Amino acid sequence: MPVSIVVGTPKGAAILKSGDRKAWSEDFVLQGWPVTASVRDDKGRVYAAVNSPNYGVALFVSDDLGNWKQLESAPRYRPEDRGNPEHHRIVSQVDFGGVLKNGGRFVDQIWTLHWAHGALYAGVSEAGLFVSRDHGASWQPVDGFNEQPSRASWTPGFGGLGAHTILSDAKNPDRMWVGISAAGFFRTDDGGKTWAPKNKGVNPAVESAPATTGQCVHSVTHDPSNASIMFRQEHRGVHRSDDGGDNWRVIEDGLPVGELSDGHRCCFGFASAMDRKSGNVFVVPLDGDNFRFPRGGQLAVYRTADREHWEPRTAGLPNNYFAGVLRGAMTADQNGGIYFGTTSGSIYASNDLGESWSEIASGLPRITSVEAFAS
Amino acid sequence: MSVRVQLPPVLRNVMGGERWLEAEGQSIAAAMQCLAGRHPALGLHLFDEQGALRHNIVFLHAGAMIRAKQAAERKVSDGDEIVLTNALAGG
Repeated sequence: MPVSIVVGTPKGAAILKSGDRKAWSEDFVLQGWPVTASVRDDKGRVYAAVNSPNYGVALFVSDDLGNWKQLESAPRYRPEDRGNPEHHRIVSQVDFGGVLKNGGRFVDQIWTLHWAHGALYAGVSEAGLFVSRDHGASWQPVDGFNEQPSRASWTPGFGGLGAHTILSDAKNPDRMWVGISAAGFFRTDDGGKTWAPKNKGVNPAVESAPATTGQCVHSVTHDPSNASIMFRQEHRGVHRSDDGGDNWRVIEDGLPVGELSDGHRCCFGFASAMDRKSGNVFVVPLDGDNFRFPRGGQLAVYRTADREHWEPRTAGLPNNYFAGVLRGAMTADQNGGIYFGTTSGSIYASNDLGESWSEIASGLPRITSVEAFAS
Repeated sequence: MSVRVQLPPVLRNVMGGERWLEAEGQSIAAAMQCLAGRHPALGLHLFDEQGALRHNIVFLHAGAMIRAKQAAERKVSDGDEIVLTNALAGG
């Protein structure tokens, strides 16, 4: 089955295409734009989010992954929305003269795009959720999320205060989830009007934050058609929930457990993905938050087939490898193909649910997002 | 006043590859408002949520470098050329 992969990097997007998942063609589009996320809608149109510290955020669209046109609208806060000073301090380090942005709340990155139930969603930093019900022609803030009562306690992670994960329930349009670094995981059951933290059983990473919203979620994966079973790569380890996030428990049997900078021991990492047909889940552990590269330099994907125990899969993956895999940089094409990109610009692919891997692209800039679209 | 504005390479692909755009206005800021009105996709990159010119934008005009916060006071003349670029750092 033909597959297309959109690879986001700080210099543009690599487009990889294959008819057999063995031979791949490669183009590099949107040159000069940091590409941070992509998604495909119900019409087969692909959206790519770009951001620039100089020129802000925008969305480009393409029907063929070759010709791209920028949309005339993008997620934006209202002029009167007030921002988080600590997020502004982090962002202003690369933002000449930002000076805390005069206190306003700004969209400085689209971290994730999500298509569900006929709508396009964008998760952004400064943390927020936006929706478009006209294929990106206009955007509205999801106020129930953006003004969630605990917002004042949300604390930025190392990369700022970003809403980087959006999940949906294929059977229930009123239920969605959003993950924020480092404020945790939230769920709505009323179509976005109200949102509740869903972090019970997960240790907070932010000591100064309330116990309900100090969790540093890195990524969450699930099957939208069986949405309540969820797997969560947290700063403080890998967790599973069987009830839509109401309760979480650590599942790290077989995973490499190391020491974090605060002494806590767990399996640190960022990326996670699920193959929905088999139910297999994949993570790429890194050697704690001090080092953030594969332990001992052996790049390894860990897989669970029974959803309780993990096993390493390294065939075809390099040793002496000291690059990381970021939160948005692993995906599944839902036809047996698993893909991930590294911070040193390589894409690895597996056709056999992780049993073996091959490098299908290299020499790219740092890879920040990977999405695969089977046709 | 009618002026010509040169776009930086990254913004040209927003405008179908166009390097130069025509704009009207008495100042650099007014010319940018004109461009944003004519080309909403480009406008997203020129003005932030507060309606201010993005503060990393820099203009080159008549031999001078003009920061975004100075653009409202910088008057232009008919036929002027303005180079739109951004602050740079590094070596």
